[in-house]
Amino acid sequence: MTGTLTVDEFRYLKEKLSREPNSIELDIVGAEWSEHCSYKSSKKYVRMLPSKGKRVVIGPGYDAGVLDVGDGYVVTVHIESHNHPSAVEPFGGAATGVGGVIRDIMSMGTRPIAVLDALRFAPITQDGAKRTRTTGVGGKGRVLKSKWLFKNVVKGIADYGNCIGIPTVGGEVEFDPSFEDYCLVDVASIGFGRRDLLVKNAAEPDDIVVLAGGSTGRDGIHGASFASKALEGENRSAVQIPDPFLEKLLLEATIEAVDQKCVKAIKDLGGGGLACCLSEVSDSIGNGLDVDVAKVHARESGMSPAELMISESQERMLFITDDTGLEKLKAILEKYRIPYSILGSVRQNPDLVVRFNHDVVARMPFQLVAHAPLAERQAKRPHDFGRYVAVRPPALPKDLGKVLLAMLANPTIAGKGWIYSQYDHEVGVRTVVKPGPSDASVLRLDNGKFIAAKLDGNSKHCFLDPYAGTMGCLSESCRNIVCSGAEPIGIVDHLQFGNPEDPEIFWSFTQAVNAIIDYCKYMGIPVVGGKVSFYNETAKGPIKPSPVIGALGLIEQESWITKPALKDGDSIFVIGKTGDEMGGSEYYEWYHHITGGTVPSVDLHADKQNADAVMKLVRAGLVGCAHDCSKGGIAVALSEMAVHGKVGFDVNLDQLPGSCSRPDNLMFSESNSRYIIGTARPAELHSVLSGMDRISFAEIGTATGQRQKQSAKFSYKGRTLVSVGIADIESNLNDSLAKIMKQ
Amino acid sequence: MEKPRRIAKFTVHVIIENKPYINDPEGETILRDLISRGGYSDVTSVRSAKLLKMVVKSKSGREAERTVRKLCEDLRIFNPVVSTCTVTLAGQAQS
Repeated sequence: MTGTLTVDEFRYLKEKLSREPNSIELDIVGAEWSEHCSYKSSKKYVRMLPSKGKRVVIGPGYDAGVLDVGDGYVVTVHIESHNHPSAVEPFGGAATGVGGVIRDIMSMGTRPIAVLDALRFAPITQDGAKRTRTTGVGGKGRVLKSKWLFKNVVKGIADYGNCIGIPTVGGEVEFDPSFEDYCLVDVASIGFGRRDLLVKNAAEPDDIVVLAGGSTGRDGIHGASFASKALEGENRSAVQIPDPFLEKLLLEATIEAVDQKCVKAIKDLGGGGLACCLSEVSDSIGNGLDVDVAKVHARESGMSPAELMISESQERMLFITDDTGLEKLKAILEKYRIPYSILGSVRQNPDLVVRFNHDVVARMPFQLVAHAPLAERQAKRPHDFGRYVAVRPPALPKDLGKVLLAMLANPTIAGKGWIYSQYDHEVGVRTVVKPGPSDASVLRLDNGKFIAAKLDGNSKHCFLDPYAGTMGCLSESCRNIVCSGAEPIGIVDHLQFGNPEDPEIFWSFTQAVNAIIDYCKYMGIPVVGGKVSFYNETAKGPIKPSPVIGALGLIEQESWITKPALKDGDSIFVIGKTGDEMGGSEYYEWYHHITGGTVPSVDLHADKQNADAVMKLVRAGLVGCAHDCSKGGIAVALSEMAVHGKVGFDVNLDQLPGSCSRPDNLMFSESNSRYIIGTARPAELHSVLSGMDRISFAEIGTATGQRQKQSAKFSYKGRTLVSVGIADIESNLNDSLAKIMKQ
Repeated sequence: MEKPRRIAKFTVHVIIENKPYINDPEGETILRDLISRGGYSDVTSVRSAKLLKMVVKSKSGREAERTVRKLCEDLRIFNPVVSTCTVTLAGQAQS
């Protein structure tokens, strides 16, 4: 019997203990050594990420990364996924995912002020589902299933965030056939607090261990191990039920305890339950713990010590305090009527001791439990890598105006009003730039500065080329931050792949890590936190590689806040080159159903130069509006700017910097490092940009506001190529998603 | 006695509740914050559920029950991973 351990891991455990582990010890170690908790496949790689920076107070490895934003304040950030639970129970899975990441922010002693989510589903339209991997099964059923997942995931996020009173301020959604019968639910949370109140997990012997929050039941048993396996069939024990009102009480109690300085360490309970929480706390304070799990306030009677240790019941926090702190903490918990139990104390020895009514049921060195032996994974470049590069380009469509309208109705591109109208994105009164007409969400901080945040991912690019694709996600999230008027100050990454034991899948993971290292080193942006999620597979196969990047930016002055709404008479500039890089573009995948082609690469020098240029222009007050060009290319980005600004535009595609062989590529290429800027002061903007060393930019047209003539006009080689009424553009962009969900 | 082949109206009850081992914050809150605080210490457990009362035109009660059971499964009125769904015929509805 090795439990969930591999034969080698079992042997290693036995050797280190110099005896046979008992069954409870096996369960504890099985939870902590699961891929989900131990990062045994990825640790070696994620350690190489650049994590230092002048603002970094605490980097990766803690519950949340901490960045200094000046005046004695810090911002904390963390990202987590809840993919497996959401795939079997979308409402509860997504909701408890929000709860988990919020508790990570609380564990640092900071108050969560915002939630963002990045979601991935299989297509929700018949047309999009045509290309799903399985054949022979009715397309209608597949579409219904992904709509059901999509609808309930959004509802779960909305319900939890709205109940607890933390605004869901932004996110990102992508639809791709590789997520059939599955979904990716990534939730990031941002916290804000005082630097001097940060809880840094420093406890001494005889300090007291307190478990507070929800009662412990049999729900979610083996959740972490469940998340470390491919999803085959429905695992019934791993369903978790959210209780946002209890989390709200726990949040207020935690913040009050931090303010009163009566806790020395805080750790939330997530995957792996008490087993992971205790061994990780023990490891971070560098002392042993001695706890009696019979004292845990349980929901059901007759729970075994192992069940109590690995249950993943939600809304629980662990506090470590001392004698004087305990009285204060008890008073706070009782005030909020939060159940708690005193489990035991910190010991000056290297052991994690678990008792059940005084009998020792497990005793292991905490360092052994907290540090799983790392798994050596083979990485192998697929022998046919690049097989998709040489695809035959599609025939040039006759009516590119129709193509544009179809592209705007693509659920991945269309306005996400149907989603964010379900979220309370204003509660807390910090949200300055709301979801929707914005590149990044912007929140007000107490020191008069603003924080901008955005999540981005692109599984289609990452599937064709994980290195270029991941770098594109980084570039895109930073561009979004820059477009909102901010300077990027840190990123978090969430790396989601299939089974790491498959060398080709593991290779794609290493490519993604290399891309983050290369990009962040060059840009000087630290990685302050992240998560790795493997085994994202169903019986139908692995997901496409799906790294999601979250970027944080700081805006020093309110006047720098920039939105992507064109104004009548604005001159339209494009910075950055457009190329024939159509691989994985929405134009190829969604419109032409072509998988293949060259994925947009990132020229690091140009990427940095362009971002610096936009930041400089914003600060000089020369930017009326700015928007990043990504999914759907220039044509989609301009359409969005026109709709947000309620104007039309007239642009000449021949002016675009770079070289494209075809007009459709000019419109829909997803080349990186491009910005669209609208300005009322074109001459000054021109002269600033001309002064920069070999930067690629051009003035491509103007925004026109006359009522009768409001249209989106693209000319090419002296002729009008596309002329579409803004009303049509607006209805396709804004109404498509709601229409699909009503069907 | 039901008369054969005549269309009548039947009331069918659908109860959707979390499976016994899955927790139920609503029921727990009602027990803790209302019932126990109100002094009714003999009550030891509360489970919340959703009750749908459907009136169905059908030839027989059994058929009405069958229709409702089918629609609950077809339309994913409940998630079989989390909840149980109990369908019972309550009787003939008044027309």
